[in-house]
Amino acid sequence: MIAVELQNLAKRYGRKQVLKDVSLTVESGDFMVVFGLPASGKSVLVRLLTGLEAPDQGRVILRGADVSKLSAGERNIGYVPQSFALYPHFTVRQNISYPLDLARVPKAEIEPEVQRVAGLLGIQDLLDRKPDQLSGGQKQRVAIARGLIKRTDIYVLDDPLVGLDFKLRERLIDDLKRTQELLKVTFIYTTSDAVESLMLASKIAVLDAGEIVECGAPEALYANPQRVQTMHHVAFPQANLTPGMLRQQSGELLVETPLACMKFDGERPEKPFGDVQVGVRPEHIRIGAPPADGWLTHQAKVLLREDLGGEEIVYLDVNGVVLTTVLRSDDQTQQHVEIDQVVRISIPPQQMVVFQEGRRIGVCKVSE
Amino acid sequence: MQPTRARTAVYYLILWLVAIFFFLPVFWILMASFKTPNDILAVPPKFIFQPTLSNILDMLSRPNTVPYFINSLYLSITSVSLAIVVSFLAAYALSRYKFRATNFLMFLILSTRMVPAAAFVVPIFQMFNAFQWRNQFGVLMLYTMFSIPFSLWILKGFIDGVSTRYDETGFVNGASRLHVMFRVVLPQVRPGLIAAFIFNLIFVWNEFLLNFILGGPGTQMIPYALAVGLVSAGGNIDWAFVASLSTGYVLLPTVMIFLFQKYLLVGMTFGTVRGEV
Repeated sequence: MIAVELQNLAKRYGRKQVLKDVSLTVESGDFMVVFGLPASGKSVLVRLLTGLEAPDQGRVILRGADVSKLSAGERNIGYVPQSFALYPHFTVRQNISYPLDLARVPKAEIEPEVQRVAGLLGIQDLLDRKPDQLSGGQKQRVAIARGLIKRTDIYVLDDPLVGLDFKLRERLIDDLKRTQELLKVTFIYTTSDAVESLMLASKIAVLDAGEIVECGAPEALYANPQRVQTMHHVAFPQANLTPGMLRQQSGELLVETPLACMKFDGERPEKPFGDVQVGVRPEHIRIGAPPADGWLTHQAKVLLREDLGGEEIVYLDVNGVVLTTVLRSDDQTQQHVEIDQVVRISIPPQQMVVFQEGRRIGVCKVSE
Repeated sequence: MQPTRARTAVYYLILWLVAIFFFLPVFWILMASFKTPNDILAVPPKFIFQPTLSNILDMLSRPNTVPYFINSLYLSITSVSLAIVVSFLAAYALSRYKFRATNFLMFLILSTRMVPAAAFVVPIFQMFNAFQWRNQFGVLMLYTMFSIPFSLWILKGFIDGVSTRYDETGFVNGASRLHVMFRVVLPQVRPGLIAAFIFNLIFVWNEFLLNFILGGPGTQMIPYALAVGLVSAGGNIDWAFVASLSTGYVLLPTVMIFLFQKYLLVGMTFGTVRGEV
């Protein structure tokens, strides 16, 4: 069953077209993450969906019914706003029960519900405190509990983990995922964080400059991105992008990059020449000799190492282009590097994805 | 350079001297209210005397004094309360609905308080005379109007500081606009309400000119009584009466300022500096 359907939504503020023709279908029970960089239009999308604002164009369909003309309160959506918005004059208990109080649920039914969601998020012992006595992570849990207590099947979470520290985010990600699976409800979750998107989503929609450029399961998006924004941003660390040039030589298409000139592998594009972008994920750049034939190899200088504990991000200068790679500390097959060291790197060409005007047109293959 | 003990002592001495100098008139009037008429005008001034309550008892027993106090209290508390209600509603609207000319409108409203009362007292008098508003209702409305600009500025500053996410969380959960205004926003701007109330209460309490020109029986406040008390004796001023009335008069603002100092700063900065409130 389809829980949420957005049809051709558009919204402009003054001269700025914030959303252009956004369509999105969310199946019941999906954990849909709307991924977008800051200012890509995520919050506006949430506002149109929840009914806080009316779109200039398009329709919002919830549970099969057109709700475009209904007010926010009539759409029956559970809502976790950005940056908590916990009422400072209420206790945690009053904050959590707020949606039920507004819905005039009998008092006797409210307390068990509060206990249930508080238990779900592990905040039972905070119920009598005021929000200013809570830590950031506790506040966020309370805000999520307040969103979840609502008796509905569609929940909208607007970048709920933004600004929280790394460890806390990881724990809340687990909690959220578990909660959604337990309740078997539909979540629509916006974020600008790639890790959150990949860990939480059953489906990711990539919002870029007011348009949904790609939508699909996280594994599929990661393995086979069709848009350069998806490949570049929906990953941690971000995928490397190098400028390139597509040209023809004796009937063959070549991709010229600062790293090497390679053959193009893919269907012949409509425009078989001009600027392209070549994306390669850090984990596909190997330090050391190629393990097999047909790999691209190059000299590189180590610029910087960022130790993340279990792994290390290494910044390399390759012919003036900065590439990053990840080394797992327990991977004995990879060479250990020092800053300023000159190393040899190898990349499998089929992992070098060629984008023209932002769209994937093919990959590279090694020239014999 | 670290201030030495001696240097610090000199600083404090200067500060105390300046403070005492400016406090002297107030001190004189406070003392006078407990002195006999002869002691009041004694030269050199008497610092050690037998205090008496007879001035204050005499002041309270005169036929019109208590009504002056009642008028002052009634007019200032009622008008400021009304002004706060109007200002809260207006401040919410101006804060949440982004009208095109909001800033200009805010400036216009405040500008009415920038004009000195002496400049507009004549047209106001003629208008109130023509409409026959020179009664308690008219003066009450005038003071309400008089109290709105500062209250509006203070409250708009406070409401601007309450994130609209609070409002929106309410709306998504089915709250009405009124619920959001009074149950969500109002409790969060309580310090602003107190600041606006105290600040304007002192303004109205101190107001003299408009009260003197427009007022009649039933609207005359203590400043009027003080002025009349000063002049009516025809050069022979009844200092004991003036002093005891003044003492009673400064009591309310003094207590208010003492209790709500931190809110006064908020008032004077239109809510932009919130400090600890």
